[in-house]
Amino acid sequence: MMIYTPLGIVPLMLTFAAFAIPLLTLIIKKKWFYHLYALLFSVVALCYTAENFWLVVYGVKQPISYLFGGWIAPLGIVYTVDGLGAVLGLLIGIDMVLIVLYSIWYMRGEEGIEWYYTLLLLLESAMIGIVYTGDIFNLFVMIELLAISAYGLVGFYRHKREAIEAAIKYALIGATATTMFFLSIVYIYGTYGTVNMADLALKTRLPWITQYIPQATMYFAHLSGTGYGNPIVATAIAIALALWAFTFKAAVFPNYFWLPDAHPEAPTPVSAALSGLVVKMGAYATIRLLYTIFGVGSLIDASAAGGWSLRDVILFIILLLGAISAMIGSLVMIIQNDIKRILAYSTIDHLGVIFMGIGVAMHGVSQAVVAIALTGVVLHMINHSFGKTMLFMASGIYIKNSGTRDITRMRGIGRLLPVTSLVMVVGLLHLLGVPPFGGFFSKLLIYNALIGAGQVAFALILILSTAISMLGYMRIIVNLILPPRPPELIGKARESIPATTILSVLTAIIIIIGIYCLTGGINTLQAIVEPSTTLKGLVQYIDSTFSTYMLPK
Amino acid sequence: MNLSLMTAYVVVISLYVNLGIALYGVFARPSLVKKLLAITILSDTANAFAVLVGYRWPASGTPKPPVYTNTTFNNQTLHYYVSHAVDPLPQALVLTAIVIGLAVTVFIAFIIIQYYRLHGTVDVRKARR
Repeated sequence: MMIYTPLGIVPLMLTFAAFAIPLLTLIIKKKWFYHLYALLFSVVALCYTAENFWLVVYGVKQPISYLFGGWIAPLGIVYTVDGLGAVLGLLIGIDMVLIVLYSIWYMRGEEGIEWYYTLLLLLESAMIGIVYTGDIFNLFVMIELLAISAYGLVGFYRHKREAIEAAIKYALIGATATTMFFLSIVYIYGTYGTVNMADLALKTRLPWITQYIPQATMYFAHLSGTGYGNPIVATAIAIALALWAFTFKAAVFPNYFWLPDAHPEAPTPVSAALSGLVVKMGAYATIRLLYTIFGVGSLIDASAAGGWSLRDVILFIILLLGAISAMIGSLVMIIQNDIKRILAYSTIDHLGVIFMGIGVAMHGVSQAVVAIALTGVVLHMINHSFGKTMLFMASGIYIKNSGTRDITRMRGIGRLLPVTSLVMVVGLLHLLGVPPFGGFFSKLLIYNALIGAGQVAFALILILSTAISMLGYMRIIVNLILPPRPPELIGKARESIPATTILSVLTAIIIIIGIYCLTGGINTLQAIVEPSTTLKGLVQYIDSTFSTYMLPK
Repeated sequence: MNLSLMTAYVVVISLYVNLGIALYGVFARPSLVKKLLAITILSDTANAFAVLVGYRWPASGTPKPPVYTNTTFNNQTLHYYVSHAVDPLPQALVLTAIVIGLAVTVFIAFIIIQYYRLHGTVDVRKARR
């Protein structure tokens, strides 16, 4: 069967490109070389992710796979990409090109630019690896890679006390959380005898899925291992430990405290990457864990366990944690004065909304509602990613011009930087959910899904947190744009063409998303991501992993 | 209860205790160096867990290395091998985890040195003052 090389090549290429930089520093001292080098590889990665997206959505029209080293599915590492992974891969590709472009402008005078790009390319490699992988141990490796490069980038200004403190906090708690995820993989391997996601998805549903696919038992049976122990108890422990790591990555309620320190202390383009993309990886991993591996029909779901469903309990906890972090994010945001901290708390708020969307898919909720919820979640990831990238970039321009991050000391500076201010207002309205920008549609979808699932209280919390977060967003606008121009900055504050061009591109993307949603784009997106929740999509996912080799008939 | 099963229980319980101690060290000790030590204890505990899972213990009785050493090849020796050899995959996972753990440990150790340079102490409570 087909093995799709563009799938496997992206993370490998980016990793090699990243680790070649330290060697190149021995030969090449010119700074512009590293800027162009990073831009080149991020553009190539964008081309590959776009090709993969095209293959999954329009070319092959089903999930595609790649085997590493020719080792067949449950034995070796395999990349399996369905619509959800392809969309997020493309999102990472686009966003990282914009962030590298912005870095060329923002980091032009900085020392150590080569190490910065080493870490940034590693970050991109790890994120694409996370969304493409079909192997839960490879997911762990990629999460660790993501974590290490993120710690390094947070502590990039290593002579600043706050940056080192934020990095140390992030790294200590992060290392604990990822070790817990490793422990969770140990439990999963001990129980099921495999770490391949498709194989796991099959094994967790085994007695049930044979009604629908009679040949299911022989799929991986020749090569897959056996396990021991009580599967339900072990699965419960494994999910609890894995969610510790994922909620840490996604900065959801009990594990959110590192984010308001880590994101603002990083260089501004990195803040954009961390807030825009890295936190989404926790949400993506949660979707994979609770929809693909332990999804509908698995042994912790009601249809297998006879009425009592552990999965519903876990999903309800996720819904609750999402609601709490949405409230905490929006409430704490309104008392902050640091512009980057306001945006960081807004990230917690939006990740809470995303987790509320993930928690909808309980037993008894109709397939249509689950599909709407997942569409809303993915659309919100896209919207928040572009919106937060844009806001951090705009805030970087304010910070460069005023030399401070305190909005009360930046009063009126927005009047001197009209394009940046316009972008800032558009971005804030977009994240707030004002039509016709994209942010409205994703919040509407998640709201509809919550109402459709009967979770009226949570739907009200979604609206309440949005209303509270409006106060925080308005404080930025009121402080930056309404007061008169600061006299000491007149003539000094100016916008540079490269930065405003990137911001204009992002604004255009946001407006296009809004128009696209109005003209039926939601249905297209739903058609792409819905298979991740359905039985048909699951069978396709398993098939594509399995069909990389065929046993003789 | 036979001796092998009892040993297995002792090992598992001591690993859980280890886990608790490591988590206490990470979250409650004020010294960053001790937090780092606790993290290495935590990852070593997780690795030991993985190796223990690979032993399929006590199901297989006395475990043997996963290498087929017999020169003859028949059903009986193969059956003995399959039922006694440890599972090599968790060991591969542990190797990977150790390598990643090394990178994280080196990074945290460096950043603790940097913290010491900036604050003159590695005690979180003293640095806050």
